[in-house]
Amino acid sequence: MKCTMCGAAPSACEGCPIGTNFFVSQSLSALGPGQRATVRRLAAGSPTDLRKLLALGLLPGVELEVERRWPAMVLRLDCATVALDAALAGAVLVALAA
Amino acid sequence: MDTAIRSEAHETSTGVMRLVLVGAPNVGKSALFGRLTGIYAVVSNYPGTSVEITRGRFTSGGHDVEVLDTPGMYGFLAVSEEERVARRAILAGGRRTIVHVVEAAHLERSLPLTLQLISLGAPVVVACNLLDEARRQGRAPDLALLADRLGVPVVGTVATTGEGVGELLDAALAAPAPSDGWSLPEPFRSPALRLAGSEDAEAEGEARLLAELALSGDEAAAGDLGADAARWSEVAAERDRRWAGADGYAVAVATARRRMALALLDGVVPDVDPEANRGARALDRLALSPWTGLPIVAVVLYVGFYKFVGGFGAQTAVDWLDHVVFARWIAPVAAAVTAVIPWQPLRDLVNGPYGLVNLGLRYAFAIVLPIVTAFFLVFALLEDSGYLPRLALLLDRALKKVGLSGRAVIPLVLGFGCNTMATLVTRTLETRRERVIATLLLALAIPCSAQLGVVLGILSAWPGAVVVWGLVLVLVFLAVGRLAALFLPGAPPSFYLELPPLRSPKPANVLRKTGARVRWYFAEILPLFLVASVLLWAGELTGALRWATGALAPLVRLIGLPPEAAPAFLYGFFRRDFGAAGLYDLAHRGLLSPAALTTAAVTITLFVPCIAQFLVMKKERGLRVAVGVLVVATTIAFVVGGLVGWLLRSVGGWA
Repeated sequence: MKCTMCGAAPSACEGCPIGTNFFVSQSLSALGPGQRATVRRLAAGSPTDLRKLLALGLLPGVELEVERRWPAMVLRLDCATVALDAALAGAVLVALAA
Repeated sequence: MDTAIRSEAHETSTGVMRLVLVGAPNVGKSALFGRLTGIYAVVSNYPGTSVEITRGRFTSGGHDVEVLDTPGMYGFLAVSEEERVARRAILAGGRRTIVHVVEAAHLERSLPLTLQLISLGAPVVVACNLLDEARRQGRAPDLALLADRLGVPVVGTVATTGEGVGELLDAALAAPAPSDGWSLPEPFRSPALRLAGSEDAEAEGEARLLAELALSGDEAAAGDLGADAARWSEVAAERDRRWAGADGYAVAVATARRRMALALLDGVVPDVDPEANRGARALDRLALSPWTGLPIVAVVLYVGFYKFVGGFGAQTAVDWLDHVVFARWIAPVAAAVTAVIPWQPLRDLVNGPYGLVNLGLRYAFAIVLPIVTAFFLVFALLEDSGYLPRLALLLDRALKKVGLSGRAVIPLVLGFGCNTMATLVTRTLETRRERVIATLLLALAIPCSAQLGVVLGILSAWPGAVVVWGLVLVLVFLAVGRLAALFLPGAPPSFYLELPPLRSPKPANVLRKTGARVRWYFAEILPLFLVASVLLWAGELTGALRWATGALAPLVRLIGLPPEAAPAFLYGFFRRDFGAAGLYDLAHRGLLSPAALTTAAVTITLFVPCIAQFLVMKKERGLRVAVGVLVVATTIAFVVGGLVGWLLRSVGGWA
């Protein structure tokens, strides 16, 4: 698999020349209020969890802003505001917006 | 909830046009249904209050029209039982027009489902609802352009005012089958077609959809499709090679559909300033932050429930109805009418202390009606404003401790109105484990409004008793919930919820919702009140009542109450509030000390649910769970009651 932006392999992604950091993703649950990110991958532990994420509209390519992370995560998406607990948020891998 | 059907979706006779309303939770399907049919389903600004399919019929321009309102769904890959119910209704086949109700301001969210619905091949009409909200936010879409691109009619509607509803009906009745299928794009399509049993693009839309869902890991869809094992394993192997399994396929398909939808919407939806709606966002922050949110909860509970339901509903309104309407106007009439009845037992049946008038009608209309109406009114206000999902979020962590998620807030709060209705609504919870825990806690530790009204009335002379009673209920709730969470098998709950925008409640909406719930309550409860009066009358007449009371007396004495309290427990099974009301009489006759009264109030609140609730538990959870809950609740009621009585008697001033 190669980066769709610059064609680099995952190992070359740290220090990305064009700043997209395609492979450098982190768990959504690590983000704090005010941080913006783009969903890269869904790593749900079960098909049911995956469906919940799909129902919330969390798909690769979707941009989000973290509104708060306590008592549960609240995300502003383009088309909705959604809430999810830390366990589910942990299954969403995101790349921080530059 | 009033016209519930399950899967009788096949019986449309010829000549009847069937419209199936489909859409995400909280986009106004039920309000639109109400506008179309005149029947008002209980709709709310909370995902998941329509738990069954509601059906309405009317005639328009010579057509017999039948409208089905389905529970909210985000997509065909079902997570919850309601989504499965909705899916079955859509895929039931037959001649029908699908009305996809979408939120005009957030088309991106719904359009992927629109494309899937169109691909089924049945006529589809898109209702862009909440158009007023979209206009206010400057996000009103270009409906004509959207209709042109989709190839199906698109109508803008405001269900709460009726705008566009007539036009929607006309469009739905005339809608042709779509010409462009919007079927799956390649490379996802050919494996689905192969699984559906045809290489041919004309394959039945439904089979194609089932194949897609089956490949996405939906076992129910795979079962419905019934593809043969060889073909299934061949196609699944190809899927696993290309997309690394069902989950990968599901995500890739959803992503592709989202791209199609975004491309379609280019130029349809105006760009908006993200800083618009700042006021609403600031308010939302206040409601969501525990620092400000929990004080807001306290104020809402105090003003809404304590002051309005407890004060106005349970005292002012009850006093007037009971002491003025019943005592002055109805009682003399009833007495005059019964005076002509020649047989004493029959006179008792009509107008005796447990008679139809005094026990059945008076309780239903003078005592329960005002409390329940006040409660449902406050509940409808909270629902319509979109506050309940915020409450769910705030309480999620606390509820996780008792094995529930924030979603359980809705049945639990509703339980303070009517436990029976709340038990029905537990079916919106995700896992069976959560449903069982919620059912148990409702039966045990959540007093319904009728009970609350009477118990608070009895205890009002001793504020200390109210505090002890409340504290014991909270402790029992937490302890039993915690134990259930530890010992019941199953995965721990997870929390995910869309937060609809905060909206100012629409008075017409709130009133109709309250009316619908009160009607439901009475249809369910009034017959039980009357049956209970007849049973108590018959029990009195035959001596069965005395025998049963005698049997209960030792148990009652065991927790430190006088034997005169036994009938209160017996009535408690017919209606929880009958029991509480029995205590009320005892307290008035001065037979109970504060300690005994508190003990009795605690025991009767924890004691078995009323007959209606038991029947709903049996229907929803099965006989085993229902009997289990009954046994557990009764045991806990007497054990905790006994302990409280013992503790209080040893404290000075209570005995």
